[in-house]
Formats: sequence, structure tokens, C-alpha cells
Amino acid sequence: MKEQDTINPSSLRQALAAKARPNLVVVAGGTDILVQLHDRVDRPWPKLLVLDGIKALGKITLHDDFVTIGPNVTFSEIESSPIIGKYAPQLAQAASVAGSVQIRNRATIGGNVANASPAGDLIPPLYVLGATLELLSVRTKRSMPIEKFFVGPGKTVLKSNELITAIRISKVKRIGFFLRLGTRQALAISKVSVAAALMIKSGIILDVKIALGAVAPTVIRAGVAEELLRGNRLDAKLIDHAAEAASKEARPIDDIRSVAAYRKEMVGILLKRGLTKILESM
Amino acid sequence: MKVRFKLNGKFVMLDLPGVERLIDLLRERLDLVGTKEGCGKGECGACTVLLDGKPVCSCLMLASQIAGHEIVTIEGVAADNRYAHILNAFEETGAVQCGYCSPGMIVSAAALLARNRHPSDNEIKRALAGNLCRCTGYSKIIEAVSRAAERVAQERK
Repeated sequence: MKEQDTINPSSLRQALAAKARPNLVVVAGGTDILVQLHDRVDRPWPKLLVLDGIKALGKITLHDDFVTIGPNVTFSEIESSPIIGKYAPQLAQAASVAGSVQIRNRATIGGNVANASPAGDLIPPLYVLGATLELLSVRTKRSMPIEKFFVGPGKTVLKSNELITAIRISKVKRIGFFLRLGTRQALAISKVSVAAALMIKSGIILDVKIALGAVAPTVIRAGVAEELLRGNRLDAKLIDHAAEAASKEARPIDDIRSVAAYRKEMVGILLKRGLTKILESM
Repeated sequence: MKVRFKLNGKFVMLDLPGVERLIDLLRERLDLVGTKEGCGKGECGACTVLLDGKPVCSCLMLASQIAGHEIVTIEGVAADNRYAHILNAFEETGAVQCGYCSPGMIVSAAALLARNRHPSDNEIKRALAGNLCRCTGYSKIIEAVSRAAERVAQERK
């Protein structure tokens, strides 16, 4: 039944060489993939390429202009990293509320991105941080903004011979938040989530990015709401307008976790909650 | 595939027959049946073990992923005097009813108390949020962990 060995490379070079083979399923922490494999006990498991032994992919590194997060970095490591806390507080917040202690100790940022769930909690923060993904194969190297990576639920532009080898975020300091709603606080997949990053000077919003999770086939930006906010003074009235606009931009569905109407309304509520807290702290 | 790792304080070298989950290795081949499988999907925490001191679900790990690491199961926690207060407190407060979740709860509690000697009720709840109990309603479990923490603190005075 489970006759084949897993492939456990200890270097990136070995991993990329292995990834050149077709029909491999990649395992990082395993917290998503083992759930998916759990239900297919009677069928043979696919050949598994296990990446978590590659130590070089598990580091958070500070550079002059940007921070590199290795794909094997776990949610727990993101949650407790002072570098992430300083340059990407939204990401730290998202990492700290996803799953449970047990899941956060194993789940990786690379896995969360590659799994491409519209409800993946680290993805909205990475959108608003303007993250770039580095994708490597044996022969090629390319990078792309994270927003170009997703095609649909579980679908990405990653080629079968490629691996995500780095996630980069700029060191521009922005304030922001990540807020989500789920059936319970722990272990619930998000019904709806909102991340934001803002640059505010003397009360004026110089720049803003807002991303919405679990309300479209991929995580999406709330461009209309951003446009309303940009260049204007943050106040209660502006927040109401932006919240209403973001709510309209969401295009959720009814599914097992929630219903479209609730999700749409909650997008506005969460954005309002997050922006109001920023306003109150000014 | 050969893997070498530390299990409950001892080095072990094992030949893995193929793809195997950590929980199956522990229960089926090493007879460490204290670790329970509830959901098999990381939702219930009954299979919690310590990986390099951190709680993880053994149902969501491949046995091949533990190469070079240290695993401590409930058997290892139970044999470790540092955690005796947790086991006693669970007994005294009635934090154990059917007992199925208890190994996972105790392993999670052990990891918490190893890094936080004075956890608040909220910190205990957060640390145990990945462990489900369908009998107790949790209040006795939180009381047990709190009591164990107090005793550890008293002993250190």
C-alpha cells in the first residue's frame, strides 16, 4: 500500500534534481498534504519529495533593502521572529492565529503559498507587503510578485520542475493588520480575512494596500477601497466609505464554511475594525 | 531508508519500509501506544508528541521527517520526574474522564510548562487549543495545568 520510500534531499541542488522527475508531490511541514493523503488509504500514495531537511531553506535573513524568508520557515518561527515583527507585523499576526500550536510548529510559509488556498492565512499579508517569490528549477530561475502566482483555488503558475526557494519582502516600514473570522479561534480555516499595510504621514495616507482572503478564487486586492483611502486623511467617515467599497469588491461563494452574504458584509466590518484601531492609535 | 533519531532519551536507528506516518511507526512498530489517533487530520491533538521539545501532531508527520531529531512521547513524559506534577494534577482535579485526549493534553501541557513556568489561564487555553476533549468541558484540565505550574514554582522556591 505505502511501499515507496520518500525522497528526502538535504540540499537544494538535490531537491531540484529530484523535482525534475514528473508526478512528485512536495511535502514541507506536511500539515496540509498529510490531511489530503489521509483520506486515500486504499490507493497508493504518490511519490513524496520531502523538503524540510534542507536547512538552507529554513532561514529568515536580513539584507540591505529586503528580508528573505526561506520556504521552510514555520508559522511558529514567523510568529516569534523579531525581524518579521518589525518589518511584517501583519505576517506575524497571521502566523500566530492560524491552526494550533502543533500545526504552527510544522506548517511552513512555502507550503501555505504553494497550497494556494484562497483562505491561506499568510497570503493576504504577503500581498500587502508586496512579496516576491523566487522560483527555481535545475535550469531556470525567475521571480514574480506573489499576486501573479495564483491562478485559482489550489492552482498556481509553478512549473512541475520548479520549487519556491525564497519569499522576499521589502524593508519599507509600514503599519498594518491582519484580521480573520473562523468558526472558532483555533484550528478553524478562515471564513474571511483582511490584511492591510499603510504608510501614514501627518494623518494623510500616502500609500495603502488591502488584501482580502477567502472571498474569491484567489486572495484579491481591494483596489477601489485603496484608491478611496490613498492621499486622504484617515477619519471615521473615510473608513466607512472604504469598508463599504471593500465589501462590494469581495466576490465570495457559499460553501461548507460560510455563506457569501455574510462573508461580503464581514469584509467591510474587518477592514473598519482594523483601520479604526489605527486611527485610535494616532 | 535508514533513519537515526532520539526517542524518549535513547538513540534509535530504524529502517523505514516506505512511506509511514510517525504515529504508525510509534504505535504499530515501536509499541508506544500511549499516543492516540483521534482524527488523523491534526484537528484533535490526541497524537501530540514533542519534536525537539515542541508539540506536533504525529499523524501529520512522516516518519522519515524525524531523522536527526528528538521525539518524546507520553511514555517519555510520564517517565520524566520533571513532569510528575502534571500527571498528579490531572488525577487530582478529575481532568481525566475517558482518557483518550489525556496523553496529548499532558504532552502539550509539558511543552508549555517547560517554557513558561507561570502561565495565565489564557496562555494555558492557547497552548491547549490544539487538543480537543469531549468529556471534561476543559475547566478541570486548565485547573490541572495551573495547579501543576504552581507546584513546580513552589518547589523552586
